[in-house]
Amino acid sequence: MDGAVRILRRFVGSTILISIFLLVLNLITLGAWVFNGMNESPSPKSVTQSMMKHLHLNNGSITLDPEAEELLQQNKVWTMLLNEDGKVMWSYALPDELPRSYSLTDVAKFSRHYLMDYPVYVWEHEGGLAVIGYPKDSYVKYQFNYSVSWIQDIPFRSFILLVGNIALALLLSLFIGSRLIRSIAPLIRGIHALADKQSAHVEPKGVLSSLAASINHTSELLQQQNVALKARDEARSNWIAGISHDIRTPLSMVLGYASELEESDSLPSEQQQKAGIIRQQGEKLRSLIHDLNLVSMLEYEMQPLHIKPIRLSALARQAAADFMNNGLDERFSLELEFADEQLKVNGDEKLLLRAITNLVQNSVAHNAEGCRIKLQTQASSDREVCRLIVTDNGKGVSASVLPDLLELPYSSRRKHPVHNGHGLGLPMVARIAKAHQGQLILRSKIGQGLEVIIELPAADACT
Amino acid sequence: MDNLKHKKILIVDDELEIRTMIDGFLRKEGFTRIYHAANGQETMANLVTNKPDIAILDVMLPDSDGFALLSSIRQFSQIPVLFLSARGEDEDRLLGLGLGADDYMVKPFLPRELVLRLMIILRRVYAPPRHEPQPQFKLGTYTVDLEGSVVHSSSGEQSLTAKENTLLKKLYENRGRIVTSDALCQSVWGDDYYGYENTLMVHIRRIREKIEAAPSSPEHLLTVRGLGYKLMVKEA
Repeated sequence: MDGAVRILRRFVGSTILISIFLLVLNLITLGAWVFNGMNESPSPKSVTQSMMKHLHLNNGSITLDPEAEELLQQNKVWTMLLNEDGKVMWSYALPDELPRSYSLTDVAKFSRHYLMDYPVYVWEHEGGLAVIGYPKDSYVKYQFNYSVSWIQDIPFRSFILLVGNIALALLLSLFIGSRLIRSIAPLIRGIHALADKQSAHVEPKGVLSSLAASINHTSELLQQQNVALKARDEARSNWIAGISHDIRTPLSMVLGYASELEESDSLPSEQQQKAGIIRQQGEKLRSLIHDLNLVSMLEYEMQPLHIKPIRLSALARQAAADFMNNGLDERFSLELEFADEQLKVNGDEKLLLRAITNLVQNSVAHNAEGCRIKLQTQASSDREVCRLIVTDNGKGVSASVLPDLLELPYSSRRKHPVHNGHGLGLPMVARIAKAHQGQLILRSKIGQGLEVIIELPAADACT
Repeated sequence: MDNLKHKKILIVDDELEIRTMIDGFLRKEGFTRIYHAANGQETMANLVTNKPDIAILDVMLPDSDGFALLSSIRQFSQIPVLFLSARGEDEDRLLGLGLGADDYMVKPFLPRELVLRLMIILRRVYAPPRHEPQPQFKLGTYTVDLEGSVVHSSSGEQSLTAKENTLLKKLYENRGRIVTSDALCQSVWGDDYYGYENTLMVHIRRIREKIEAAPSSPEHLLTVRGLGYKLMVKEA
């Protein structure tokens, strides 16, 4: 759900930014527009003012400059000058319907509003009261009356308005965003489930139903593929298990009769020895089948593990003791070196013992002249990983061959054929390590011996 | 012991050759009353008519599998059963033993092993119960008697403590072979043995004082450096 929260945060953030941007843009546009309307040129105020400058009173007669007259004509404006008594002293283009005399009340009325529907503007002049009239329906006059406290409140009110807008945008975006998230969340869960190789089913509804449908489809496809893959792996593993099983019965008879002949006193000793060889080879075949089966089970992840905490040093000691008890040739020496007796892993004791045995056996098999073999345990510096290291000072292998050694014999990935033994030893160890969520690392150079490291995740008790 | 050879044995296997071979081994060992069955049905019939004393059971049978067969046998009979199967996985082994089989052997097998295991089962089930005495063995001039927990020597008797007795028994069972200190500790202190290594050394020293002429240069109970200990017993 982390993803959903992040999306929501982004969404709310950008919504608020957009709202603020729109608000500011609108304010600017509105302001510019109102300002333009008020100052439409030439505004009544400017016409009135410029006319006042050009209306002269000379010895009782009134003259208007020709340029002012032109201005009046351009704006289709009439004008008149009222004296103290309300009589028209002078006029220009005064419509006939208007009276030529006005009472104080008339003046008060039209100065604020209209004179017979003509929008008029008044100005004080040295000759009396100048009145300028525009044609009917050309201007609208408004009067605004506000209390002082109201005006004083404007900054505060606009601030509240701004905050309110932002809060509203926040709430709305949260509401819309969370609804969106609610419809996306199942999809996100579905996709995460797909990534974890789990089956995902998203109820297809709402605008994203097609997306949900394709997630479901993908999940189904993946499940089918998984099932097919598992079935194929199982088939392969079963095939090998089946073959091993089928070989076991005839091999039983080979081993059985061979060992009977080997012990039979009625046979000459030479024949007894030959029967003994048949038995030994049969036993070899038996262990080969067992190994083959084990490797195939590990390869296809079908080998059941009996996990318990195991101390690596005890395991290595057991392996070393087994080798020495079974008569390790004198050309080989086994050394043990434990950094920490306490190192523990969770693992299958039998398989891990088999892994160490294989590694030592490997060193023995490839160094006929003898070598020193060392078993070591180590922990990584963060103590997350335990290492079991088997090194020898034998002839080693070239670095280019190393990756090959972990591949199964005869697999297409293996470039070089198997030299010695059945070639299952190291691949088996690699697979045992993998089955324990660990890995096998090989290090070697020609003439510098071989170092094999089994890395396993440390058990919790390790630290 | 001989009357064990008179016990009736039922061999269940779908392969005639295997039955013949096992039959041959058993007859050579002195068993005479041997019956064969090739499938589950014949097995059930045989159990009723011949009342065998022990059955060697294959797991893969044409009409049923051995595990199911054992379950149905157990409904009416407590006959000891030894599984002899080509299925060698641990799971099968555990399943078979879990169902109450007395032993589980994997093909291919050595005939001697089969006979030995068969005899062990027969002895356990049919021989009159008797106390299995703890072994007694000689180490040079010393005689160790695990039954009596004493060491006899020319200079007299020295008793062994319970732990010393357990350690000597473990070492004797693996005589001539290295026993790791881990295995020794485990035999005395169980699975939570970690940390007892030094105590083990103390016990080993005490044992040496009782069985060695010169405890600091032992002849019988040898230290294998870094691994464990080894008990050298010269078989008489």
